[in-house]
Amino acid sequence: MQKGFVAYNNEQKSLEAETEGIKNSQTLIQKAMNWFSARSMFVVAYGTGCGAIEMPPVFTSRYDIERLGVVGVATPRQADIMIVSGYCSLKTLRRVIRTYEQMSEPKYVIALGSCTINGGMYWDSYNTIKKLEEYIGVDMYVAGCMPRPEALIEGFVKLQESIRNNTIQPGYIKYREDYAYYQANQEKLLGKEIQPVYEEDYAGMNLS
Amino acid sequence: MKNLQKTYEVTQKAERLFEVTIPQTQFWEAMIHISTQTEFNTLSQIACTDWIEEEHFLLIYILTNDARDKNLMLKVTLGREYESMPSAITLFPQAEVMERDLHEMYGIGFEGNDTLYDFVLEQWNDLPPLRREFDTLAFVHEHFAFKGGREDNKDVKVEQKRRREEAKKQKALEAEKEEAEKPKEPETDTEETQDKKPDTKEAEDGQ
Repeated sequence: MQKGFVAYNNEQKSLEAETEGIKNSQTLIQKAMNWFSARSMFVVAYGTGCGAIEMPPVFTSRYDIERLGVVGVATPRQADIMIVSGYCSLKTLRRVIRTYEQMSEPKYVIALGSCTINGGMYWDSYNTIKKLEEYIGVDMYVAGCMPRPEALIEGFVKLQESIRNNTIQPGYIKYREDYAYYQANQEKLLGKEIQPVYEEDYAGMNLS
Repeated sequence: MKNLQKTYEVTQKAERLFEVTIPQTQFWEAMIHISTQTEFNTLSQIACTDWIEEEHFLLIYILTNDARDKNLMLKVTLGREYESMPSAITLFPQAEVMERDLHEMYGIGFEGNDTLYDFVLEQWNDLPPLRREFDTLAFVHEHFAFKGGREDNKDVKVEQKRRREEAKKQKALEAEKEEAEKPKEPETDTEETQDKKPDTKEAEDGQ
């Protein structure tokens, strides 16, 4: 009797485990997706500010971040990660937002340097933004002025861990769900036309 | 150089730096003369200073010669409001970008330059930011929000002075301590030196 009871209990447990597995199959797939995407990060080749000079050694033979599964790509449409490297002026912010919105999900942003956190040494500048997280979703901050390539690699590793273990809510989900908040901030700073204006657009105008 | 000295008063500021100050009405004439008759045939920079107390801008056209070993500063003053400069594009095509920059940062007009639209600042609706009446800090606090943590922010220059003075005091204290400890050290030093010297040892042995 006791044996059967135990067997029943075990069966029940295994059944429950199976149903749990079916219920959570979505998260299982997500877990697999996270596990895969943590090891295949494609970084868009885009640099703002002085931090861009720290990126070439990270991607080339000196530090060789390809061993961690991080590769650079040419266009935002093929990329998962954007590094906003250093101060971001108002003119650059338009390009950053445009690049960010062109990237396909899942996408992550690493903000490099103190300037992206709270203005840094440009805190009293009329032309650089102070908090990047007000305008696009940010996943990882790497502090420093300038951070060494090791610090950037540490940022990549921490981001990979948090993607693999699903410990943070990704910035792109926040951006998608709270788009009104981000758009309001962008419009407050940049005006109604957030998209950049290129020189060809001025060609027809007679401004002189 | 001689051609220039014939027509204008040239003051030598440094070994390779010369200065000519001209009124605004003679600017165009002077530019043509300098670019065609003298050795200074390249415009390398246009600098601008905002003298708000004296109500004018000081424009400095910096010209270079072929050998790139002499510079000429051509100084022109320009009223801050309702005045514009003739553009130097026809003499120096590179002036286009420099003038465009000055127009954007100071709001100076250049007659004959067709490219005076947005350059670095896009869709800027405020005052030109490098004019002195533009309050940068007020603009920053109006348009940007800061994270917490800057409340105990101290003035850098004051803090630097304080730290330097503290360092000086500490150095003085250390020097005093060293002086207090010194009388003991020289005795041991002299003994050691005496021991090390072979001549004195021999002399001592001999005695």
